[in-house]
Amino acid sequence: MTHLPFIAIAYVLGIGVPLCFAIDALRRTRAATRRLAAIDPRAERRGRG
Amino acid sequence: MTRKRRRLYVLLACGIGLGSATALVLTAFNDNLVFFVSPTDMAKGERMGRQVRLGGLVEKGSVQRGGEGRPATLFRVTDGAASIGVSYSGILPDLFREGQGVVVLGALQPDGTFKANEVLAKHDETYMPKEVAEALKKSGQWNPGAGPPPPAATWNATAPKAEGK
Amino acid sequence: MDTEIVGQSPRGRSLHRFANPGRFLRLSGAVLPWLSVGALITVSFGLGWGLFFSPADYQQGDAVRIIYVHVPAAWLASAGYLSLAICSVLSLVWRHPLADLAAMEIGPVGAGFTAVCLATGSLWGKPMWGAWWVWDARLTSVLVLFFLYLGHIALVRAFDDPTRGHRAGAILALVGAVNLPIIKFSVDWWNTLHQPASINFTSAPSMAPSMLWPLLISAVGFTLVFAAIVVARTRAAVMERRIRGLLMARAAQAEA
Repeated sequence: MTHLPFIAIAYVLGIGVPLCFAIDALRRTRAATRRLAAIDPRAERRGRG
Repeated sequence: MTRKRRRLYVLLACGIGLGSATALVLTAFNDNLVFFVSPTDMAKGERMGRQVRLGGLVEKGSVQRGGEGRPATLFRVTDGAASIGVSYSGILPDLFREGQGVVVLGALQPDGTFKANEVLAKHDETYMPKEVAEALKKSGQWNPGAGPPPPAATWNATAPKAEGK
Repeated sequence: MDTEIVGQSPRGRSLHRFANPGRFLRLSGAVLPWLSVGALITVSFGLGWGLFFSPADYQQGDAVRIIYVHVPAAWLASAGYLSLAICSVLSLVWRHPLADLAAMEIGPVGAGFTAVCLATGSLWGKPMWGAWWVWDARLTSVLVLFFLYLGHIALVRAFDDPTRGHRAGAILALVGAVNLPIIKFSVDWWNTLHQPASINFTSAPSMAPSMLWPLLISAVGFTLVFAAIVVARTRAAVMERRIRGLLMARAAQAEA
């Protein structure tokens, strides 16, 4: 494969950047769900799922 | 008129104002927004001695690679109507070849030639596999030295056949 | 008028139907798993095809495979900004509370995709053009788009009162929207080093089908990825806002 380093870096960026966003979103959702469950009297009824 | 409707109209008015202002500014600075000038524009001679970018196709049969005694590569850049001789000593990009679009940075010399200190290859919007390119050349639909390949609509129909070989 | 009271939006008015955070959380919670799985499958399929099974280009060789990342990232950089502008209109005209949160969450994702577009373009430009970067109209206007995203990210978070931040950000987003047609048509209006579009609505694509299909599939895939990330972030933001509201209510209660 010609220009392999260029292609490899491009694909790492193209997959890595969205992956970082996805992991961050998952972490935020987990933290917020846990926090809500602790303090929100209505947490069982809403935010789940 | 409700508040929402008024806000919508204000927004639309602002948008129209901003849009036309931008259009005017872009038209006014048109000359500075082009990345390169064509050999025809260059031949008018107004840009003598200034650093400019010259863009066009490398004329077929005009490339003389630098060798012993002459370090510079010589070639002509054409837009079909006019052409200008370019000299360049340095490493040419991979895509540089006859018939290829190039953009060269340099200055027009008093003798009417262009002395370049940077050569960039311009890629066109055509993407095709090697097999299709070979098939087009073999069938005589495209002569690579003469310019860019024919429009894709003419060969996309034949492409699956060419790949199937 | 500017105060947002969670859960008190008028019911039944079509535009504000999703302004109810509880309803948004339920609905998006049902859609998000499907969206994520679909995004993952499509993008893996498109990129895998592009990287391993699509042919090398007759001029560019294997470097053409970079476009399967670069072109979708570029489309989404613009499309993401368009969605930011739409959210801004919804926010400025209709004062839609979810539009504010969505705009705030679109900004960083759009900036990330724009950065990917610029970086992968650079990685393609060096071996093909012979330059990492040139100041032509296309590249410069996309760089301006990147800075607009960064400005929006900073501005919406710059005020103590979040509502003022959202207003200011919405105005910036709408002013910046003039850049979108400039990006799109820069390659047609001016001489640029960047090639014109290979795919458009008015003529046949100047691209072999064996390259066009993986490109379109990975574009759909990246669009789904973008949407899934934005929905997930907006969900988190809605919940975080509710947490802030509850904590403030508690603090007020404790003081009283």
